[in-house]
Amino acid sequence: MKRILLAAAISLAGSVTALADTLDDVIDRSTLRCGVVLDFPPIGFRDQNNEPTGFDVEYCKDLAAALDVEVEIIPVTWAERLPLIVTGRGDVVFGATSDTLERAKTVGFSIPYAVYFAQMVVNKNSGITSFEDLRGKKIAAAVGTVPEQEWLKIAKQWGEEGNYQGYQSENEVFLAVAQGKADAGITTNTAVPAVVAKFDTLETGPRMPWQADYTSVVGPRHDVTWLNYLNLFVSRQVRSGRYAELWRKYVGAMHPT
Amino acid sequence: MNSNFHWRPVLRALPDLIQAAFVTLEVAALSMLIGVVLGLALAMARDFTAPAAAPARWLAVAWVALARNTPALFQLYFFGFGLGAWGINMSPLAIVLAGLSFNNAGYLAETFRGGFRAVPAAQMRAALSLGMTRMQAMTRIVVPQVLRAVWHPLTNQMVWAVLMSSLGMLVGLHELAGETQAQASRTFRIFEYFAVAAVIYYVVVKLLVLGARLMAWRLFRGWSPA
Amino acid sequence: MSNTVTYFTGFRGADLLFLAEAAWGTLKLSALSIAVGTALGVGLGWMLAELRATRPILVPLLDVFRSVPLIIQLVLFFNFVPMIGLGLSPFAAGCVVLSAYAAALVAQVARAGIESVGRPLRRAARSLGMSYGQAMRHVVLPMGLRTVFPAWVGIVLGVMKDSSLVSVLGYVELLRASQILITRTQEALFVLGVAGAFYFLLSWPVSWWAARHEKRWQQ
Repeated sequence: MKRILLAAAISLAGSVTALADTLDDVIDRSTLRCGVVLDFPPIGFRDQNNEPTGFDVEYCKDLAAALDVEVEIIPVTWAERLPLIVTGRGDVVFGATSDTLERAKTVGFSIPYAVYFAQMVVNKNSGITSFEDLRGKKIAAAVGTVPEQEWLKIAKQWGEEGNYQGYQSENEVFLAVAQGKADAGITTNTAVPAVVAKFDTLETGPRMPWQADYTSVVGPRHDVTWLNYLNLFVSRQVRSGRYAELWRKYVGAMHPT
Repeated sequence: MNSNFHWRPVLRALPDLIQAAFVTLEVAALSMLIGVVLGLALAMARDFTAPAAAPARWLAVAWVALARNTPALFQLYFFGFGLGAWGINMSPLAIVLAGLSFNNAGYLAETFRGGFRAVPAAQMRAALSLGMTRMQAMTRIVVPQVLRAVWHPLTNQMVWAVLMSSLGMLVGLHELAGETQAQASRTFRIFEYFAVAAVIYYVVVKLLVLGARLMAWRLFRGWSPA
Repeated sequence: MSNTVTYFTGFRGADLLFLAEAAWGTLKLSALSIAVGTALGVGLGWMLAELRATRPILVPLLDVFRSVPLIIQLVLFFNFVPMIGLGLSPFAAGCVVLSAYAAALVAQVARAGIESVGRPLRRAARSLGMSYGQAMRHVVLPMGLRTVFPAWVGIVLGVMKDSSLVSVLGYVELLRASQILITRTQEALFVLGVAGAFYFLLSWPVSWWAARHEKRWQQ
């Protein structure tokens, strides 16, 4: 009996070490594999040398620095954010990911680290100035985003799902609206100024009626120690003033209310 | 590692996916139809010898070279965002149709050239000497033989068009792959959704090949093999 | 709005180098996949032609690779591998899928090549005292190679172009690189034009050379 217990204890110990969490994995590997969306200026984009930069990229680097490991930036599209975590190809995703209860069935979320509002960029020829003007217009958004889901709910009420266009990336949404494929594209308040400044054919559109997007850092669902660490990281970024510093640098004014 | 499969949402989405498979078939069939017409025109244009027809010949040569030497996905992007820069805007459906038709035409042009070469010119002369009109000789002697020579490559191209239409998912078309992606992005159960899509594609392709074989049997059974 | 950070920057000379590097990535990915796929495919083709017992398994199996869109194969494999506890980079995953895909195509061609050399001819070679291996090497290989060479070149070019699909896994090959540049510069037509030129330069010389070669062999 004793021997059986001992064997059980040993095998239990074995399985415990085999279940080392992401925090240990990252430290052992000496690399943090960090997913970021890079077509979402100013939160994630590429500088003129094609190197990743932006608010989320800085957060990746800060987290790696806190862990004292190297950082590996993995560029992802909106739709690839959660699969990156589910399949274990990345340790963490900083990608303006809204913390929906639906998604929380699949991945784990930290406390929110940034807040966005959904806002339109509209083609100058579209004549859109208010939310109601969107009726009967061709609307573009990025596949796999919360704004997409929210818009489809409204479109369904209006019976206009056929007017929706889903694109792979935020950038394709901007291009589609700028080129006139779509009349308006859904993005966030943070991206609007940069995009409107870039394209002559675009202008700032209406805010969307749904509530603000609280976005969180994404990690494996079952890995509570890792999520704890991420919570602490997010909290300390705010306390240390780093959050304000980076937000001011990339987005400009402190977050709108 | 999260390796629990959740199949229930996929099964619930199955009717949508099957409906999307019909979009796939429609897009592929339409792009083949356009491809066949354009391919025939290109095949003939390439063999123009008159100096006045040189521009048409060069257009055909360039078309075939570009269609065959650049990736289909590149061609789709070109028709999508490339042409958009010139203010030519197409819906996702039009982009995929244009891209696939452009590609199909480039490949089919070569197929048709081979097909026409398979029928010796002497047969035409023989048919005329038997008292047939040119039209009769074309429809009864030449075209059936050409059709038989190109039937197999034509079937292959149709299968290829079905497979290529999956690129529609990258330009926002909700054909089978696009619909699969849209559905999968809601729950992020990528593997399950795409596995089911793979099975549907397989069945569609098999049915197409089977149908083409049956049709070939109906069309050509009176013919002794060359 | 602070003006210290610029989000969109124009196309620079260095970006050509960026695209050239990505073209090199395309070349690496396709060359490796074609090499592995051809070796594997020739073996499978030989089994199909010579070991009839393998056909009931191999034929439907290889058929799957030719009947499911490559993009779906890529997404499936890339999402499946981590489930069995393996970590593969986009390059490695792309390589595996492209190799399998190429192997399925080559197997069909290789089988046709071997079968194109008639049994009587091979029997004649054997009756001249050649071993099976010798007959294969000196009779079947040179004759079969001629008949299937154009088809093989077609596969090579096909795989090279299809490697563009690995961009969906995030590997920065030519097409993904052009997307990155389009995002940054917003000059879609120009960037796509340059990328297209790179593809054309990779593909066209090979198809031109093969067409010439084919003509010479046919004479």
